Parts: sequence; structure tokens; C-alpha cells
Amino acid sequence: MSQQQSILEYKNGRYLKLAIGLCALAIGAYLWYEPTTVYVKPNGGTWLGYTLGTIGAVLILWLMLLGVRKRRYRSRAGSLQGWTSAHVYIGTSLLVIVTLHCAFEFGWNVHTAAYVLMVLVIVSGFFGVYAYLRYPALMTANLHDAQVETIVLKIADLDRKCRRMALDLPDEVNEIVMKSSRASLREPRVRTSFRRRLAGDTVHCPTRDACAALTRIGAKFTGESASLNQQLLTAMTQKSVMIDQLRRDRRYRAILEIWLVAHVPLSFALLATLIAHVVSVFYFW
Amino acid sequence: MEILVTYVSVNQRGQPQRDQRRIAGSAFNIGRGSQCQIHLPDPRVALNHARILISETGAFIEAEPGRIQVNGRESEGARLTVGDRIDIGPFIIQVDATPPGRPLALTVVPPSPRSRSVKRLVPRVLQRMPDLSKRRLSYLAFGSMLLIFLFLPILPDLLQGKALPVPDSRRAMLSEVIPAVANGFTQTWNPGPLSRSHQVFGYDCHACHRFPFVRVLDLSCIACHKRIKEHVPMEELTGVRGIAFTDTRCADCHRDHKGSQLMPRTQEQCADCHHDVKDAAPKARSESVTDFVTDHPRFRLSLLDADHPRVIRRVRQANPPSAEMVERSNLKFNHALHLDPGGVRDPEGRRDPAGMRDEKGRRTVLRCADCHQPDADGRLMVSVSMERNCRQCHSLAFEPQVTNRQVPHGSEKEIVTMLREFYARLVLGDMPPDVNPPRDLPRVRPGALLSYKDRQRALRIADEKAQRVLRELFETREVCSTCHEVSRNDGGGWKVAPVRIAQVWMPQALFTHARHSAQACTTCHDVGKSKHAGDIAMPDIAKCRECHVGARAVLNKVTSDCATCHRFHAGRDFWLGTLQAQRQPRSAK
Repeated sequence: MSQQQSILEYKNGRYLKLAIGLCALAIGAYLWYEPTTVYVKPNGGTWLGYTLGTIGAVLILWLMLLGVRKRRYRSRAGSLQGWTSAHVYIGTSLLVIVTLHCAFEFGWNVHTAAYVLMVLVIVSGFFGVYAYLRYPALMTANLHDAQVETIVLKIADLDRKCRRMALDLPDEVNEIVMKSSRASLREPRVRTSFRRRLAGDTVHCPTRDACAALTRIGAKFTGESASLNQQLLTAMTQKSVMIDQLRRDRRYRAILEIWLVAHVPLSFALLATLIAHVVSVFYFW
Repeated sequence: MEILVTYVSVNQRGQPQRDQRRIAGSAFNIGRGSQCQIHLPDPRVALNHARILISETGAFIEAEPGRIQVNGRESEGARLTVGDRIDIGPFIIQVDATPPGRPLALTVVPPSPRSRSVKRLVPRVLQRMPDLSKRRLSYLAFGSMLLIFLFLPILPDLLQGKALPVPDSRRAMLSEVIPAVANGFTQTWNPGPLSRSHQVFGYDCHACHRFPFVRVLDLSCIACHKRIKEHVPMEELTGVRGIAFTDTRCADCHRDHKGSQLMPRTQEQCADCHHDVKDAAPKARSESVTDFVTDHPRFRLSLLDADHPRVIRRVRQANPPSAEMVERSNLKFNHALHLDPGGVRDPEGRRDPAGMRDEKGRRTVLRCADCHQPDADGRLMVSVSMERNCRQCHSLAFEPQVTNRQVPHGSEKEIVTMLREFYARLVLGDMPPDVNPPRDLPRVRPGALLSYKDRQRALRIADEKAQRVLRELFETREVCSTCHEVSRNDGGGWKVAPVRIAQVWMPQALFTHARHSAQACTTCHDVGKSKHAGDIAMPDIAKCRECHVGARAVLNKVTSDCATCHRFHAGRDFWLGTLQAQRQPRSAK
């Protein structure tokens, strides 16, 4: 039961409640503070502004510690699932806290740059949550019971078999099979994969092409060649199916990773900009 | 029933090794799963891959389509005969000659050890994101952001006063180029537009932010704003709030980088102290206030005393007015008479035998503006003066039947001198053309030679005449005493009491007549029934409240906060002086 509980529902949404409470507190303070002290319009330089800013900065530092916590397998500082759940909700609450900290003041400066980076980090995080909720199930469904390793080995076996069968068939067929064999396990790199996902999985696959070609060529064969060709076609089709399976799996994995490639470096950019923001504010106080 | 299964394996020395097992049963599962009777441990084999069934008719193998090959052909089920070869994943199972008493004998040949290329295959396919290292990207992002937003903006300060380690020939160029470029980056620190008046400083942050990590000091402000006044004398602020107030920096109220305006206009700020002003300054003479319409005290007027020129009486308006609410100007004036709707006597009409009429047969109706004119900046009224305002009607002619010459206004001495000289001239026989010879004045015959005694006698006669005319002026004809308090002084002469008229009644208020020009004078100043110069016609707060409300807007009323009428920097001393007195010892530590 607890294994199937998603990070969003961890402990009945304990951290969701915490985040909502935090936001409500911040909004309440903002509304209460604004009408009483109206020296100038609200800004990050009032004591409430400093308070919200400090809370925001501390939270950002803590959120970044998830990267450390998840590598400490022996750590007893709460379960990783709990950390992740809190990471998601508290991270989202930053949108409210930090927006109130800046009191809707934006400009072309380091301060707004830090804000924009923070929003980008959070949005990429949203995509990550979406991916983690959606793609693991798709991956399981895609592979059935098999493991990626098995499929790779099976493809290698089929490859060998096809090459052997093709030896008795005309050069034309042999060449097609060799071409497919050379290409089949050179799995496209992630970037190709990601682009393909956007393009709707229409890819120029040598194995699929080979199947089509074999069907076309096979019509000319008779007798023993025809039956051999038929066997070859069966094997190639099996391979094609497996390659597609493998490709889909690689694609899902890529999606599960690609958002982190944005999320993590962006959060470090945010950290640097945050440091610059704090230093700049107090350097020219 | 038992079948014989021979597993072939390769031992450590690379030699084949055979391992025979007898397995009982009539159905045998082949698969990866450990519960299978014929266990083939390889990921390419399914958990339950195939099944061998032994019956009386023989041995059969069955499997799902596409899983096994019997003698090189795919099969879903086949009868097993001696010599058959079954491909299951990477394994080969051969059907051996049946030994006696056994229905089936199999040999399981394991896959040849994986070749190196196949070994590398799996990790190569599983390798993730070979060209996108999160760690490297993170370092890059962190470093570049720190460079752009922290290091470059601070670079000019770091280089301040340091010689660059470059040849002299380039140093001059670099010392100009680096700040110019870096200043562009420093601008990324600017949290918002400067107020209009401070935009003159441009990129020079240090113009105000003198020291890093120190809030903007008042010293930066008064470097330019030398003439700015303090709010109230610092030494009066001995209350708790007052002491806190003395620590207020200029920038606590004047927050820049917030747009074009730098002036705070919030009466909450004023009310911080003024809601209980004695708490800030125990000796304060003003009363507490938070808003114009709710609790502003009645106005205090600054009244003068003509007999005591150094005294300024501050008298608060009240209903009924206090006994002190009197103007002591030593003047006599009747507003009601002057503003008579039927008009006043015209000066020209007085010479008209027909009576008090002018050429058009009318009396002149005076308006306020005939005497009261605004000053150059429209704020106050120009003082009423005899020369400008009264003399048109009120002649100072000393003997109208003799001449229309007038005595000068302002000095008794000058009048005496002028009259003595005038009549001496007449007595001595010099008759100007604008003079009718007075009958009661004996004159010397023109051309007569006068002895010293004759002269003395003639001048004495002239003096006596002058004295008679002076008495008429000051006493009987009431020329001077129409407006002035006249008394005799010790030397037998006359003395006109000194006059002082208030011009600024509310020196702490920013009232401007020009802004109120849409209103008639009488809206606020009701003088139509005033018969005495001592009457004060300053409007009270209720009159102001007919149009003005406090800081909260009300329909058809003028919203007015503290700053509408009061100035903050209205103190006596310059902020600069106060600062130097207060802060200098602190910084000297």
C-alpha cells in the first residue's frame, strides 16, 4: 500500500497542508501589514519584506538539499519519500511567499532575474512531478515483465539469427539485413529521442524499412527461398517490435531525466543569483 | 516416471563437464523460474517458457507461439523424437537416445559465454544522457550567474585604488574601459527607477551609498541639501517616541528607487508621534492630532501687540472667543462702514457744493480687492498702506481753504518741519501759485527790506500759525485721529501710537490665497459687521471643514492630509547643524 502511494499523497498530504498553511500565513501577514504602514508601497525592504525574503531563501537552500539527501542512502533524516513530497509542496509555496516578498515589483535587474529563475525551476519541477506520476506506469506497461537487458540480448540473438538466415538469400536481402543489424542496437541518443517524442515517434528505422523491403522482395521468391524469406521476415518483425519497445523505454527514461537536466542547473543558477541578490541589496543598503 | 536431464557446463579449466539429474513426474516446466523442473537461468528465457508432457504415446513439448524452435523452425508444440534439437532462448536442448526404463533423455547445452561486444552492448544501450551532464551544467550555470550578477557589478569597487597588473600603456585604457563595462552590470543591481531629482547621479551608486553594507547616511543627503531644516528642535524631543524619532534617517521617509516621487505623504507617519505629542516632546505647545477632520484642534493665531513689538501672542480660537482674541494694532478702522452696500463718500464729492456726490451722482461702493491685493506668489495679502490704499479718499490736507497740499504720512517730526517751512515762506511774502493767501496770516510786503528783528518776528508769526494748524490736524479736525491713537507728548508735541498689523496669522500653515481664488473673500472672512479694528476675521476650523476632509476621501470634499497644510521640515535650525552637533561625536569614536 505504502509503496503505491504517490509522493503527492504522502501521509495524507501532510506537506500539502503545511504548504497551504505557510502561504495563508504569508498572505495574511501581507494583507495585515500593508494598510498599517504605508510609508511607500509595499516592497522587499520593509521588515515583512525582509522576513518573507529570509524565509524564501532558507526554503530554497533546504529544497536544494534534496539533492544531497537522496544520495545519502543511510541517512535517517526522514524518509526520502517524505522529503520529496515536502520538496514538491514547499517548493510550490515559494511562488506565493517570494511573490509577496517582492510585492509584485519587477524590473530588469538581478532581483527579478532571481525571481524568474525560481519560477523556471518550479515550473520544470512541475513537469518532473507530472513525469514521475505518468511515465513509470507507461514503462511497466511497455516492457510487460521483461527487463531492458533481456530485450537487448534478445535483439542481439535475433540479429545473429537473421544474419545467418540471410546468408542463403540473395545479396539484396543480405544487404538489407546487414544494414538493419548494424543500426539496430545503436540506440539513438537521448536528444534524438527527445526530439522524436516531440515529432510524434515517426522515425526512419532501418529494421522497419527492412521488413517492408523483405515483404516486397519476398513476393518474387519461390520454393525454399520463399519459406526462408518468410522465416527471416518473421524474425525481423519480432526484432522490429522489440526495438520499438526498447525505443519507447528509452524515450520514457529520457523524459524522466531531461527535466532534471533543466531543473538542477537552473536551481544552481538560482542559487548564484540569490547570493548576488542578497549581497547587492545589502552592499548598497 | 523419471526422465534424465544432462546439463553440460564448462568448468574453470575450460573443459566440458556433464551433470546428470533424474527428474520425476509427467509434466516438466522449462523456464527461468526456480520452480521449473528444467531450470534455465538466463534473462532471455521466460519464467515459464515451455512445457514437456510425457504420456503413453510419447513426449511432447509445447510453448506459446514464437518462444521455441524445434529443429530450427518455430513451433507451438511438437512430438519429441531422438535427435531433435530445441532452441530455447540461448539454450539448446537435444533429445538423446532413450535409456532403458526412461521415457525421455535430454541434454541441455548452455549458451557460449557472452562475447565482449555483447557484454558491452547492454551498458551502452542503457547508458543515459552521455552528452548532458547535470553536474557540469550546474557548475556552468552557477559560475556564470555569479560572474554576471555578483563579480562584474562589484568589479569597479574591487579595483578601486589598485594598480592593474598590466603594462602601463594599457593601464590607462583599461582603467576607463573596465568601469564603463562593469557599470552596465552594476545597473542590474538597481531595484527600481530613481526619483527624477536624483537621476542626475546616473550610475554613481556611491553618490548616496557611500559605504558598502551601511545604510544610506544623512551625511550623503545633506551634502547637497544643505538648507534643509529640522522638523522640531531636537532638544525638545525628550519623550520616548521623540528619542526614537531623533534616530530617524532621511532615507527612512524618503525612499528612492521607487519611482519618480520621493516625498512621503502619509499622515500615519505624522500620527506616529502626533497622536500623543506629549509622549514625544513633553513640553510641546501643540495639541495631539491624527486627522484633520476627526481630531484636529482649533487653530492658533499669531497676534501682535503694537505696544510690545517683541511679543507674539499665540491665541487658540474658541467659541466664544477668548478675551485675548483681539488685534492690538493701535489703528481705528470700521469695516462695516467701508463696505456699506450704499457706498462711501467720494473724495471728489466733498468739494461739490451739492453734497456727497461724484460726477455721476453716485457714492462709491468699495470692494475687498480695492484695499487687499495678493502678494507676488499669491500666498498672502500685501499689507494695506496709507499711500496705496487710504490716501485716495483720506486726504491729509492741512488747510484745505488755503491749499490742497498734504502733510507727509508717517512722521510727526516731518509734519512739523514741513508746516513751519511752509508758513514761513508765506509770511516772508513768497506766495506759490497753488496757494490762496490765508487771511489770518500777516505778510511782509513784497520787495521790503527786513531787519534781523523783522525776520524773527515774521518767523514767530509763521510758527504760531503752524502750531494752530498742527493742533487742528492732530486734535480738532481729527485728520490723524481718524485712524490713529494720538496723544500729546512731554515736549508739547503730539505722538501717534505705533502701528503693527498682522500679515501672517497662521505661520505654520501652508495656506495659499491663490489656490482659493474660486471662493469669494467673504466666504471665509466675515467683516461686514465689524466696526472695530480689533475684530479678527480669521476663519475657524469649522469653516475649513465645510470643504476639506481628512485623509480619507469623501465625495464632493477636498481630501487633505497633514502635508496639505503643514510642512515637515519646518524647524528653526538646519538639519545639517543638528546633525553635526548630534552625530559628530558618534562618528569620532
